[in-house]
Amino acid sequence: MDILVSSLAAGLLIGMVLALVALGLTIIFGVMDIVNFAHGEFLMVGMYTGLLTAQSLRIDPLLTLPFAAIVGFVLGVICYVGFVKFLLRGPMVAQLLGTFGLMLFLRNLALLIFGSEDRALHHGLLVGKSFDIGMGVIIPATKLAAAGLSVAAFWAVWILMNRTKIGKALTATALNSQGARYMGIPTERMNALAWGIGGASVTIAGALIVNFWSVNPFIGLLFTMIAFAIVALGGFGSVPGAFFAGLVVGIITEIPGIWDFFTYTFNIRWMANVPMTSFKYMWVYLAYFIIMVVRPRGLFGWKR
Amino acid sequence: MEAIKSALDFSDFPRTDMFIAGVVSVFLVCFPIFPHSSFAMATMIQFLMFSLYGMGWNTIGGYGGQVDLGKAQYVGIGAYTAAVMLTRWNVPFWVSMPMGMFFAVCWSFIIGYPLFRLKGHYFAIATIATSLVLKDLFEVWDFVGAARGLEISPIKYSPPDFLRLIFKQDVYYYYIILGFFFLGILYVNWFRKSRLGFQLRSIKDNEDVARSLGINVHWAKVKTYAIATAFVSMVGSFHACYIKNIEPEDTMSLDLSILIALMAMLGGAGSLWGPIIGAGVLIPMKSYLKEWLGARAGLVGIDLIIYAIIIMLVSAVEPRGIWGIVERVRGRKAR
Repeated sequence: MDILVSSLAAGLLIGMVLALVALGLTIIFGVMDIVNFAHGEFLMVGMYTGLLTAQSLRIDPLLTLPFAAIVGFVLGVICYVGFVKFLLRGPMVAQLLGTFGLMLFLRNLALLIFGSEDRALHHGLLVGKSFDIGMGVIIPATKLAAAGLSVAAFWAVWILMNRTKIGKALTATALNSQGARYMGIPTERMNALAWGIGGASVTIAGALIVNFWSVNPFIGLLFTMIAFAIVALGGFGSVPGAFFAGLVVGIITEIPGIWDFFTYTFNIRWMANVPMTSFKYMWVYLAYFIIMVVRPRGLFGWKR
Repeated sequence: MEAIKSALDFSDFPRTDMFIAGVVSVFLVCFPIFPHSSFAMATMIQFLMFSLYGMGWNTIGGYGGQVDLGKAQYVGIGAYTAAVMLTRWNVPFWVSMPMGMFFAVCWSFIIGYPLFRLKGHYFAIATIATSLVLKDLFEVWDFVGAARGLEISPIKYSPPDFLRLIFKQDVYYYYIILGFFFLGILYVNWFRKSRLGFQLRSIKDNEDVARSLGINVHWAKVKTYAIATAFVSMVGSFHACYIKNIEPEDTMSLDLSILIALMAMLGGAGSLWGPIIGAGVLIPMKSYLKEWLGARAGLVGIDLIIYAIIIMLVSAVEPRGIWGIVERVRGRKAR
């Protein structure tokens, strides 16, 4: 029983962080119909920002979030103004491969600068601490803090999108960019802003994830695919969808733990022989495939 | 007979094109006679392989406009079928290659049939997802060597072995892949003028109109996807015999899928010569950059940075690729 509860708890906690990862992707897709393959690389940039500022300034990793947010915002805006703007005129093939080129560029730049070894944080207020909430369930403090701060960041972005004038302008651009332009909304600037918000939210997630996950230049693709799965499940362009889908995908990544629970509880021999941990992320890809086949709009999607 | 005549008929291209193509093919046939380094030979073989991959991608991605970013899974199926059959049951290449094509085409039906309901980005990402699922499976499947991969040791066979495609000199491999290359060009030349080719181009231009004209859009896409798959899997089997050491990481990785799509796009998707031009530009550049900058100067990743910059420039400035530039210049002259 304790395996099941702790798997579910870990899945929900990581799911909250993953929801924040996917938020940027869904905003960018919603506003301008472009799929950003470099999304995971933005996360990697956030992880390196968090790691390096924490190490060089000797501050707690959780205090690096503002730096990460600024870096992400600037990176997103630069990417849009300097590159993505030109992609929007071209056909879809060019958009896909263009953002893929951006991904390769960021990844290999990181490889050139930081080298290929894994780096992890070893200091910090919360690193190594954990809560025992009974029934044998132990929750690492870093994950709990990351999940809490993710939800806070998510809520902040949701407020921005729904309760402010800028957010209304963004939504209008997403619904009908030509119409929005007629109404005097600077859609070019809104697109840049969407990339800025998208970049900032994902780098914040990166700075949170680096608390419990080591970083290397190749980590991006995994998170890109997870974010795609979340966005597909929640519906492309839907912000609340991203949150719920994030929780679901978080639990999907904990399938090995749940599998172990069934194996030991019911003592099923063939289940014990399956190397489940090596399939950990395969379930996410498979979930994406099944969602796309069964319900391409996703749970909360409004774009077709 | 009709089909062969159509495949050999290049008369809709201008004379200069045919002249250049003739010179290039004479050069390709004569290349091993000239003095060359083994590195240059390996690069040439890579070039021919990748132009074949690109031709396969071009049928569905270029003529059909369906962006497929999961071609590497079929490379993997072809390569693994050839390697497993050779190492376990000593099946010659000329039997295992069609078997690999058959398996790959079956798999392409399994995933293509549901996936072609999707359009655009959704389809592209879904192909990536299936490709990654297959790669993860092969990384834990002991029968095919799991993550270690499979090795074909040439000591067991007596090279030159034309049945199993085990040679000591690269020249043999070069001529075999060159043969495939010419056959591939003829096939694509037939394909683009066939009924399916025209259907596909009308689907690319406007799917709803194509459907209203009575084209079975879904089935046309699935069929073309199978054709593209067969191409890629064939070269995958060759890859297994040529490299002799295959792992999921280098036969099925996403980078390979992207490279295939990119080459076709750089050269010009949707044209006969596009993938060949793209491979001719990218493959030598990639391997020489890696050799000079990566290995000698010790700058890991700089070759891929330059390569990424090229991708970004092409997609932002001229999405129709090099062939698009050529056609634009020609259009200006004609006026």
